[in-house]
Amino acid sequence: MKQLRFRFRALALIVIGLLTVAGVYGVYSVSTYGSRWFSNARNTRYQSAKRTVVQGDIIDRNGVVLATVDEEGNRVYQSNIKSRSAIVHLIGDNEGNVANGVDSFQANYLLGFETSLTERVTALLRGETRRGDNVTLTADSKLCTAIVDAFASGEVSRGKAGAAVVLNYQTGELLAMVSLPVFDPMNISETVTQNTQHPFWNRALQSTLPPGSTFKIITTAAALENLSDVESLIFTCTGATQVMDQLIRDYNNAQHGEITLARAFRVSCNNTFSQAALLMGDNALRKTAESFGFNDNFLFRDIVVENSVYPTSSRNDVEVAWSGVGQSQVAATPLHMCMVAAAIANDGVMMEPRLLSKVESPSGVVRLKYSQKIYRRALSAELAQKIDGYMKDVVERGTGTRAQVDGLTIAGKTGSAESAANGQNVTHAWFVGYIDDDAYPYACCVFVEEGSSGGSVAAPIAKTIFTYLKNNTK
Amino acid sequence: MSKRQAYEAYRKERQDKRRPDRRMCSAMMLFFFSGFLLISLKNEIAWQGLALSIVVPALIYVATMWLPRFFPADKLLLSIANFLCALGVLILYSTDLDGGTSRGIQQAMYYGVGILVMLFCIMLVRYIRRWSFFIYVIMFGAALLLALPLAIGTEQNGATNWINIGGTSLQPSEIVKLALLLVLSYFMSRNRLLPWLLFALFSLGVLMLQKDLGTALIYYFTALFMYYAATGNLLMTGFGLVGAAGASVAGYMMFAHVKKRVAIWRNPWMYYETSGYQIVQMLMAIASGGLFGVGLGLGSPRVIPVYFTDCIFAVICEQFGIIFGVLVLVMYVIMILRGTSIATSARHSFHGLLALGATSMLGIQTFVIIGGVLKLIPLTGVTMPFVSYGGTSMVSCMGLIGLLQGVDSLNRDDLSYDYEISRSLQETADLPDADNR
Repeated sequence: MKQLRFRFRALALIVIGLLTVAGVYGVYSVSTYGSRWFSNARNTRYQSAKRTVVQGDIIDRNGVVLATVDEEGNRVYQSNIKSRSAIVHLIGDNEGNVANGVDSFQANYLLGFETSLTERVTALLRGETRRGDNVTLTADSKLCTAIVDAFASGEVSRGKAGAAVVLNYQTGELLAMVSLPVFDPMNISETVTQNTQHPFWNRALQSTLPPGSTFKIITTAAALENLSDVESLIFTCTGATQVMDQLIRDYNNAQHGEITLARAFRVSCNNTFSQAALLMGDNALRKTAESFGFNDNFLFRDIVVENSVYPTSSRNDVEVAWSGVGQSQVAATPLHMCMVAAAIANDGVMMEPRLLSKVESPSGVVRLKYSQKIYRRALSAELAQKIDGYMKDVVERGTGTRAQVDGLTIAGKTGSAESAANGQNVTHAWFVGYIDDDAYPYACCVFVEEGSSGGSVAAPIAKTIFTYLKNNTK
Repeated sequence: MSKRQAYEAYRKERQDKRRPDRRMCSAMMLFFFSGFLLISLKNEIAWQGLALSIVVPALIYVATMWLPRFFPADKLLLSIANFLCALGVLILYSTDLDGGTSRGIQQAMYYGVGILVMLFCIMLVRYIRRWSFFIYVIMFGAALLLALPLAIGTEQNGATNWINIGGTSLQPSEIVKLALLLVLSYFMSRNRLLPWLLFALFSLGVLMLQKDLGTALIYYFTALFMYYAATGNLLMTGFGLVGAAGASVAGYMMFAHVKKRVAIWRNPWMYYETSGYQIVQMLMAIASGGLFGVGLGLGSPRVIPVYFTDCIFAVICEQFGIIFGVLVLVMYVIMILRGTSIATSARHSFHGLLALGATSMLGIQTFVIIGGVLKLIPLTGVTMPFVSYGGTSMVSCMGLIGLLQGVDSLNRDDLSYDYEISRSLQETADLPDADNR
């Protein structure tokens, strides 16, 4: 019986251990993913809560009311059709076509799920209808409208799908997020639902795309970290590098001859960066990409972002060479590429992107106040400053000259990423960059689907954004 | 009687009244009284709810305070089991209200039946002395009952494990759980390997034929746990575990529906429209509850498929919050601790193994269902002990508690017997070392 007792206790410990694991796992997953599960468009609970609770307002950083309710309790957006269309992916629409807009992802505030018991009882005793909390965003809705206008005024970008993101790189505040084409949330017509460009898709957060040459920021960081004397190394660009049985070509088949890394960054020479990628190897490049947040499970508090991918399987040299220039299954969202540029601007520190500036109940109880948080350190300050110099060169006399703004120091990187769509090769235009000025600490990312050239199509839109920021922010 | 003696008697009485079991019982009765009252006054007055607000606390009183007068009992274990049963009635009744079902009332009846079954099992363990005869009766009866659905069974959710007798349907595999524990622990305590192996293999085989995989899992692991406890043979137990792992891999490779289950478990959102619907609904319900829940009778539990049996833990989490959900888990843990303590203080290996088997069966079943609901492991259709809707599940769980209480009452009898002997020894013999503690 004595031996039996020992075994009894051991078995009981196993069972208790299992139950403990279940409990800990439950608490962990609810606290980590709970808000994402709750705000899912399929959750019928907050849809039904709309019948009993008056939704709170959504306000932008300048006090513009973006969404409120009419006398009957229905959701209404701004009266100007252009303004309300520009921010439709940020806010979401009332029918839940856009995933994870503020209207649904912050439903626990807007529909008063965070309201405390005493507040509910007080409202009940006073005979008031329950009201949700008002949410103030860090976003600037006028900037969003300006970005939509900028897309429309560009010759190539007009009518194209695309996305743009603007961040404050020192605090992580999200100033603008636009996905094109936009649509009117109060009048969703057949032309919107039938549109083959998929207007409901939020390209800024949900599309993981090959970042193309904008990824050279990361390749450069990896090269500076892993290859000694890479700055004095001379690469040879013959216009096409033979890797195994494939040729890595440059955009427009340019031939740069003997070239340094700095110059290659400026003129965006694919041959140099493929060679650099092969020199340091897949693992080194992946490690740097992961320090920038690739392959991480993004769990930001205010926004739901698709995870970026740098392939983890073992690959051949062709694929590694293409990865050095941001192709071959390397994929990132426009928001994440904006964060990459922001990390360079912020001396290597990547801030968590945040969208909520304040949450306040109708009776004035402040439920949440903006707090900034470091997401991760992407690279050392020293390296960041070096790449900062390269990026300034790009805008000053490289591929990104069309992003120049008088009176501001702009740094940036263009990209023209190839992607296969419907069996055809298409080229997407990218620009990531920032203003190097403590008075205007803003980074932006512009993406134009099938825009072909980052330097001539995406950079001018970035210029409009920078100009707006210079004129409209203190 | 002097003044002082009267005062002492008064104080003793006061202390008696303040006993913790009394307080716990009153707290539970108050909890369920107010709970049922709250629900029945929610819309127009529901008389059934008002009746339940009296009946359920009365049942709790009978089971935890009145019955233990007739035999010694572990009141903590008893109280927790009753709390969980009553919680099931409360949750089921709250979901009935806007759905037009009457599961709450039925569950209250099953609860009453469960108390009777518990009593029966206590008697069984306490008063049967000639197990060498009865165990064969139980064994053959159980084997027959278990195999019955193969002949006259009806199919539910892909498993043929229900039979209909005179208008009531029941699931033999639930009731046979009790027989399994008795048979296995009897033969193991007498080191007779063959009979228990035959019975275990027979039960598992029949369950496999009925495609009742969730129950088969519980049977298998209970038998394995008991085997290790009885023999301490780590090698064979390891073989058993490897065999289980091998069987699950083989099942994964061979059966398409097992593959699908695993795929749903890994990413239920991908299969929302079809087979992932249930788990997605559960996760959203748990997330909607947050820390403190949306409140009793609120929320929308009825959107979850089978919210009343397999998924009832998600409903509890939605209405009372994840903190309460974790506390429910803690209650199961306390039950397991009490059960282990009963098993370790048993005098006979038969009783010890019986108590341990009952405890581990309870723990394994709880883990399988709660782990499934929380998406820690793939979801298999077993009931949540005491809480889930269903007569047979209630009978088997209360029966388990009955077996445990039976063993415990024998332990306590033995203890007081020891005490009597030591007392009489002290009085009669002049033992040099006997101190008066």
